Amino acid sequence: MPEPIYLDHAATTPVREEVLEAMVPFYGPRFGNPSSMHRWGRDARTALDEARERVAHCLGARPDEICFTSGGTEADNIAILGAWRALKGKGRRAVVSTAIEHKAVLGAVHQAANEGAEERFAAMRDNGVVDVSLFPDVVRDDTAIASVMWVNNEIGTIQPIDELARHAKSVGALFHTDAVQAFGKIAIDASTVPFDVLTISGHKVGAPKGVGAVFIRRGLVIEPLFHGGTQDRGRRPGTDNVAAVIGLARAAELAVAEREEDWARLEKLRDRLQAGILARVPEAVVHGLGAPRAPHIVNVSVPGTDSESMLMALDLRGIGCSAGSACQSGSVSPSHVLSAIGVSTDLASAAIRMSVGVLTTEAGVDRVAEIFPALVAKVRGANAAAAAD
Amino acid sequence: MGERVLVAMSGGVDSSVAAALLVEQGYDVVGATMKLFCHDGDLPDRPCCSLDSVNDARRVCHTLGVPHYVLNLESAFGRDVVDDFVREYAEGRTPIPCVRCNTFTKFRDLVAKADSIDARWIATGHYARVADGVLHRGLDHAKDQSYFLWGIDRGVLSRMILPVGSQTKAQTRAVAHRLGLEVIAEKRESQDICFVPDGDHTKVIRQRLGANAPSLAAGPILLSDGTIVGTHDGHARFTIGQRRGLPGGFHEPMFVVGIRPADRAVVIGPRTELLGRGLTARQMNWLVDAPRVGATVAVQVRHRAPTVPATIVRMDSDEIELALDEPVAAITPGQSLVLYDGDTVLGGGVIEAGKRQLPVRAA
Repeated sequence: MPEPIYLDHAATTPVREEVLEAMVPFYGPRFGNPSSMHRWGRDARTALDEARERVAHCLGARPDEICFTSGGTEADNIAILGAWRALKGKGRRAVVSTAIEHKAVLGAVHQAANEGAEERFAAMRDNGVVDVSLFPDVVRDDTAIASVMWVNNEIGTIQPIDELARHAKSVGALFHTDAVQAFGKIAIDASTVPFDVLTISGHKVGAPKGVGAVFIRRGLVIEPLFHGGTQDRGRRPGTDNVAAVIGLARAAELAVAEREEDWARLEKLRDRLQAGILARVPEAVVHGLGAPRAPHIVNVSVPGTDSESMLMALDLRGIGCSAGSACQSGSVSPSHVLSAIGVSTDLASAAIRMSVGVLTTEAGVDRVAEIFPALVAKVRGANAAAAAD
Repeated sequence: MGERVLVAMSGGVDSSVAAALLVEQGYDVVGATMKLFCHDGDLPDRPCCSLDSVNDARRVCHTLGVPHYVLNLESAFGRDVVDDFVREYAEGRTPIPCVRCNTFTKFRDLVAKADSIDARWIATGHYARVADGVLHRGLDHAKDQSYFLWGIDRGVLSRMILPVGSQTKAQTRAVAHRLGLEVIAEKRESQDICFVPDGDHTKVIRQRLGANAPSLAAGPILLSDGTIVGTHDGHARFTIGQRRGLPGGFHEPMFVVGIRPADRAVVIGPRTELLGRGLTARQMNWLVDAPRVGATVAVQVRHRAPTVPATIVRMDSDEIELALDEPVAAITPGQSLVLYDGDTVLGGGVIEAGKRQLPVRAA
């Protein structure tokens, strides 16, 4: 088999060499616990503080506004549950989100509802973007926090975060954005866009899995999820994951420095892949096509196929893609995102997400586009025969 | 690389060894575990069922160096197998969901997946054998599972491989050890119906139809002359030939001899009333060219029951009527009728009714 082709960068990316190199000393000679008063502790503490400054710099934030987490899911939970629990006693009883959010946000919103919040969802337009004109209907003066992802992880659509955040602010509600897929693709500047809380994750940008950060605007009081020591001003007790945080800082700096160049390269690859598929399978439907999209994601459904069979067939040809949300067992379920933007169940059950990134080459996307029609024909034939039974 | 085979893997020893043997034989093996049901359907982040089994199958495939996928066949399985299971109980029968799983899920839906990935072959861990497009009993008659396979499409036989069907369970375990599949080598046999929690099938009925399902409602226990001798709390708790849960005080052992959903009655009687000399079956499926009326066949009416000789007295479309050469106890509507010639499976159907009298062939 020829070299496998990884087209799942929105799921995760390999750790960059520069990142690993930066991390290694913190597993060895610089192993100290930043909370210790001795020289080992001081050394680790200095590195940790520097990392916080560096990540803050990447987001247009101040260092005390950065809290390190175990990743995107924890950051989203701190944002939503932390804000809800801090505000629920103050007449702010609603938590607002969208139906296209990542499960980390939807799950946290659901938990807030279990704790008495009213959960509300902002209306979506069919192109996968929040309907800005209807946003004030759900985000009102009774809202504790509204959470809208910056870039959707399945279809890549970009949400009008600046407008949405401004509206939330105008009614005194907090605004959180899950920027896991946006970070490194879109310029994020906390000094100009009035979001209150923002999530980023390390492993989408070449840092290791298990580290992320949440921006919490200065002055904002949020209930911690964990209880224990005073690390991170008590917002996130637990011994700091120093090496991973150093890795996150390095990866973040590289991502921000390379952002524009990377966007251009990825967009070219993504468009080439999309055009290659559409040229050979013209009936394929690309989701979110009419909306502004991040450059690394293309989500396509071919009528008459199903995601599960297509993903297997692609994998057996050495091509790694993904579908909606993977269940714990690894089986595929139809995407809640596509259902939420009005895509029919049949088409949603056929969706395949391809995401380009650091490992993607022109030759690779060309080969995928070439192989694609034969796999489509096979899967379609099998499904048609089964339906005829 | 040899021809591609899709192996249905439950995470148990039989299908794991099936996959391992095919790898040894040079096939291009692709493992698949079917996700068929989920109990806590209304939890938002539901824990997937049989996660451990999926993980075992994945580890076995990893050891074998072959890909493994989890296939979500939940909605089709619910429709084809679980709904029918509940419906059959409602109609006073005792279904065998494994038969329909083989017919519809494994050897139809999974075959479609095999087609999707260009797999010429489909394999499972069943103890049965296929040779030249004909299905035979497993070599180890104590483990034989051919009774559950009568419903599959005849055309699929030529694509089926049943690698463990020509060995004993002990040999299968030995192969597992030899190949280092220690994760599953000594796993216990699964006895229960996979989607039935704690071996209590009434839970499934309750889940699907609610606690007020008529098959779970109280009704009379009668003698065949209509005398009421007691009450029961749901005819779905009974099957033909059952003794448990019946009133005592009779001078001979009493058995369930009939279930009548129309008046929710469970009819009991002595052993003589349990014996049948004939039966009718529906949904007949043939795995060889259908025999003719008048032909003598060997029939099996229950898993692990011995076969008895019988004569076909009537066949119309997918129904059959048989005269049994000797009396057979507890012929149970909903169970399978499987016709054999020696070890060869001729075909089968779902038992509609047993007959006390010997049926005669229409002139």
